[in-house]
Amino acid sequence: MSQAVLLHEPGPPENFSYEDITVADPGPGEAQMRQAFSGINFIDTHFRSGLYSPGDLPAVLGREGAGVITKLGEGVTDLSVGQRAAYGSVMGSYAEIRNIDASRLVPVPDEIADDVAAAMMLKGLTAQFLVRQVRKIGKGDTILIQAVAGGVGLILCQWAKHLGATVIGTVSSAEKAAIAKTKGCDHVILYEDVDFVEAVLDLTGGRGADAVYDAVGVKTFEGSMAATAEFGTVAHYGAPSGPIPPEVFGKLPRDRFLIRPTLPGFSAKRENLLAMADDLFAVVKSGGVSIEINQRFALKDVALAHVALESRRTTGSTVLEI
Amino acid sequence: MTNAIRVHDTGDADVMKWEAVEVGNPGPGEARIKQSAAGLNYIDVYFRSGLYAGPPLPLTIGMEAAGVVESVGDGVSNVKVGDRVTYNMVMGAYAEERVIPAERLVALPDAISDETAAAMMLKGTTAWYLIRQIHKVKAGETILIHAASGGVGLIVCQWAKHLGATVIGTVGTDAKAELAKAHGCDHSIVYTRDNFKEQLLEITKGEKVPVVYDSVGKDTYMDSLDCLAPRGTLVLFGAASGPVPPFDLALLGAKGSLFITRPSLANYTGTREDLEAASNELFDVVKSGAVKIEVNQTYALKDAPQAHKDLEGRRTTGSTVFTI
Repeated sequence: MSQAVLLHEPGPPENFSYEDITVADPGPGEAQMRQAFSGINFIDTHFRSGLYSPGDLPAVLGREGAGVITKLGEGVTDLSVGQRAAYGSVMGSYAEIRNIDASRLVPVPDEIADDVAAAMMLKGLTAQFLVRQVRKIGKGDTILIQAVAGGVGLILCQWAKHLGATVIGTVSSAEKAAIAKTKGCDHVILYEDVDFVEAVLDLTGGRGADAVYDAVGVKTFEGSMAATAEFGTVAHYGAPSGPIPPEVFGKLPRDRFLIRPTLPGFSAKRENLLAMADDLFAVVKSGGVSIEINQRFALKDVALAHVALESRRTTGSTVLEI
Repeated sequence: MTNAIRVHDTGDADVMKWEAVEVGNPGPGEARIKQSAAGLNYIDVYFRSGLYAGPPLPLTIGMEAAGVVESVGDGVSNVKVGDRVTYNMVMGAYAEERVIPAERLVALPDAISDETAAAMMLKGTTAWYLIRQIHKVKAGETILIHAASGGVGLIVCQWAKHLGATVIGTVGTDAKAELAKAHGCDHSIVYTRDNFKEQLLEITKGEKVPVVYDSVGKDTYMDSLDCLAPRGTLVLFGAASGPVPPFDLALLGAKGSLFITRPSLANYTGTREDLEAASNELFDVVKSGAVKIEVNQTYALKDAPQAHKDLEGRRTTGSTVFTI
């Protein structure tokens, strides 16, 4: 027997229930892990509320975790029992013990602790494809990060600075502005007080940003497109403020590249996943990116963590200790 | 005095009048050129009809031509009197003589005739930004180009083939399929008969393609998205069937983290550096014979109304040039 957080019906955070479950042996191509930490992400609240389908019920939510491999199913050859491993974007991390498609597991280097691995796999791999693949960020680039004090935002900010870019970030409060500044954000815009499009155009001599990263959604995306420079890239990688209505596409200015990237889109092939993880581990080990775990909750208290996320009181990463 | 086509009121082809006009001396940074050939493009029809808002009337339309420099204004160093030159995207090409910003002129190599230059500048630099800028086509890749037998399409087919790509093209008729094939299109799909999405999946064994060049728009964009491999790019560079309607951006994620862009030639060749890069690369592939520019119709410039009627009546193929 082991513990997991089950969702019997989509709805408010109170619908979570901490229960004993039985985990079968891993099937072909699977690994079983004893998890030390689960990450927690805003997207989890969408699966909990029913905005996104959580799949068969009861469901175990959570999309990133780290721990140790305890059993391997048939046909898994590039992992071993006892190895430390982590993953992002595979549902089912709110659990002590779980089975997982082994092709999604990445071995974790000694220098990276379990809590850091659990806190960064989804967000860090997302940051990886944003600054290294959606557009290769480098010296001379100016980028705009919406909600820069969030989990992905702070990683993006540090990584882009590490690559030599100038970073403009938007935040909702002075407290979050201060956090963004400590992570190297060159210009912080309080988007509830200031028109961020004008601010970005001012800061870039009217040109706009070479890359704009927006995981806010309907509240900001039209502005994000308008703040993108000619030949620049605008990435819409999440929409916690609500989906973007179709008409917005018509407002995409010419000569901009719009992408709706997803982690599975970039990491579906195992070779790509491993290369992206290597890149992430390297920048974390070098100190170029530090993973800020600013909130910790016990696994059984996941409902409190969801309340905190939804009230937008959290900054950086949040983990569940298992 | 010299002659030019002028549009006093936008409308049908007969609003174009062949008239004597005064061409002034070039001001600072300008050159005056005597033109010998100008290109005909569909964008000319849009400015003539008023669909696109142009400069104040009366208007001389036309976006590309070739000729010789007659005089230059102060501060012009990139061209001199007597140089053979050409340009793209500077309205006013339907004229015997004109004044033009000198920085928009590029020197024309001896090996390329004025007529060829006039036929290819707009379409050829469009092909350049499509396959050399937005997505650098590489050997071994497979690409999809819609309207493969059109002016831009035939250049893209030849140039992409020359770069080592496998080219899949859609066309409207069997005759156009043959034309595309003769210009390097490996797989011509007659979209009016066959489902291009299914054919592409079969041809690529389900791998799909990294880039789709779509100038058709409304009728094709959704299936074009389905032809893209993960992280592929849909380039909407025209909308012959009508503009792409509003659609849910989440589809770009669901269909594989796709990019979408609506390019404009004016911006891709807006700087001197880009204009020179585009022209030089185009001249190189034309000089080497890798890309052949075929002028299928020529008209005297004063017969511009007839040329427009033939273009709009779909009676032209490939490039059309006015001889001046």
